[in-house]
Amino acid sequence: MESNHPLTFADQVRAMPGGEHLDLCYSCGTCVSKCMIQQKLEPEYNPRRLLRMVMMDMREEAFNSPTTWLCSACDLCYPACPQQIHISDVIEAVKNLAVEAGYSTPLETVEVDEARCSGCAICVMTCPYEAPHLIEKEVNGVMDRFSEVDAENCMGCGMCVAACPMGAIARPGVSNAEISSQIDIKTQNSSPSLVVFICDWCLRVDADLEILESYPDNVRVIHIPCSGRIDPQMALIALNSGIDGVLVCGCAPGECHYQRGNYVSSCKLSLLDKMLGQMDLANGQVRFVQLGTQDRGRIRHEIDGMLVQLLQEAS
Amino acid sequence: MADKPKLAFYWASSCGGCEITITELGMRLIDVGDLVDIVFWPAAMDFKYADVEALKDKEIDICFYNGAIRNSENEAIAHLLRRKSKILIAFGSCSHLGGIPGLANLFDIETLLERVFDTAPSLDDSRGTRPQLKNEMPEGEIEIPELYNRVKTLAQTVEVDYFMPGCPPVVDQVWSVFQTILAGQLPEKGSVIGAQNKTNCDVCTRKKGSSGMRIKEFKRPHEVELDPEMCFLTQGVVCLGPATRAGCGLPCINGNMPCRGCYGPPDGVVDQGTKLVSAIASLVDTDDPQVLGQILEGVVDPVGLSYRFGLAASILSDLKYGK
Repeated sequence: MESNHPLTFADQVRAMPGGEHLDLCYSCGTCVSKCMIQQKLEPEYNPRRLLRMVMMDMREEAFNSPTTWLCSACDLCYPACPQQIHISDVIEAVKNLAVEAGYSTPLETVEVDEARCSGCAICVMTCPYEAPHLIEKEVNGVMDRFSEVDAENCMGCGMCVAACPMGAIARPGVSNAEISSQIDIKTQNSSPSLVVFICDWCLRVDADLEILESYPDNVRVIHIPCSGRIDPQMALIALNSGIDGVLVCGCAPGECHYQRGNYVSSCKLSLLDKMLGQMDLANGQVRFVQLGTQDRGRIRHEIDGMLVQLLQEAS
Repeated sequence: MADKPKLAFYWASSCGGCEITITELGMRLIDVGDLVDIVFWPAAMDFKYADVEALKDKEIDICFYNGAIRNSENEAIAHLLRRKSKILIAFGSCSHLGGIPGLANLFDIETLLERVFDTAPSLDDSRGTRPQLKNEMPEGEIEIPELYNRVKTLAQTVEVDYFMPGCPPVVDQVWSVFQTILAGQLPEKGSVIGAQNKTNCDVCTRKKGSSGMRIKEFKRPHEVELDPEMCFLTQGVVCLGPATRAGCGLPCINGNMPCRGCYGPPDGVVDQGTKLVSAIASLVDTDDPQVLGQILEGVVDPVGLSYRFGLAASILSDLKYGK
């Protein structure tokens, strides 16, 4: 049926893949209560309100809203929604319209160093968000192949940074050099030293962060955006520099903020453990723990337990 | 004769393949022979260690040292040739990264000797014979070199000026390096020569993976009919290409076999094996922890797979034997 009326913002969103669920939302706010971004990163983050903005034709407000840009499609809200709206799809529809309108992401995203990129496509296959893709272009008269990252798709999880075998990808704050530089513990006493790589999302409450800060210098906490950012090389560099143990903390199965980072880190650390075993070196000095929504305070037990175990190993 | 550059070739703990790659130069070797003076080459010419000791320090212009440092003889000759040579080149995977002999670092020396001399199923020796460092013979005392606990690379033993990777270095690269040397155009010391800076994927023309293409099952090359057009990783077969320096001309990949990594890590990468592990683990496709374990069982021998040629140079060896 032809209409003379111009398309409303809501019509445009409905027309995008995933946007068709828009009208099902009755603004109960259950999604907000489940959302880790709202709880940990951005109090203004609110899917319920974003969907409302769309229905009320508040185009510019929606495009400027952090909700449009920060959703990583972890989909913790999806099973909770009484209307079974796939909210991340609706948000993505809004984001795609925002990109079309010339808006860009406020997130720190990854960059590819073309002087190093060999075009192997490992980043392309790794990324949960289809951000990197291969391009061909002429360099000094020769066609060469590189990875290129769509900044608006990149959520900055850093999984590709760890996966890139050339070290050609960096994200400000969590480049290989920046993380390695934090692995330096000089303990004066005899207590075991421990590096804790902690995913930015697996600790649900401030009290857990306070626990991390309560440890003395022999426990070095290194914050990473996702446990999928861990590179087994970092763990080995830490151990080789005399550090006694490495603890990697990520989200519980099914709760990864970046969809698959916790599985990826679990694979990396399982293989590393197998390799340490082959070398007759495995004694539990590298451990991966997955902290879930219900695990408040567990981080203290994990760190203390690991320190006790390392102390026993040493004696 | 006096103004010709003096060259030396040596083999330490190696298979002899590096020697063969030099003889593969064929008729070109005769041209080389006209331009240089070969003063030491145990595999092909009759020189003794005493001949090298008789040379003045730095009298050898360029020494190609292949093979890992496995025993006291390898080590002593490395020191001797270092002293006598202006330029020392680690030639081939074994002297560059430890190569296949470096895999011995998986086990300490006692475990290895026990296997070889006591428990190997093909063995029938009730006397428990073990080689002795010194033996009294009617003609006098004889000595054999001492086997070390850890296989080392040449650079872990003496200062090395250039590294030429490959198991063995491919003959065209050997020829181009000879020409570079004769033209006096060697790059900055410490460089890898006879290879490129990026990885094999940079030059491989197989169709690469795309978004969402992940690994549900790891397969070994003999377990699958390999598509000659597609990237091995997209077929679930681990290829070391993404973690390996280009320069070989891809003979394995062109023969429809995945890269095994003999050219070592590319520029700027310290540890080839963990980089490879990080890459392949990132491609595993499941959200079920149990299935994940089953998928990883497909990586039967992660050390042998990812450090086939680089174990002696790896952080793992440092961890096991100390730096």
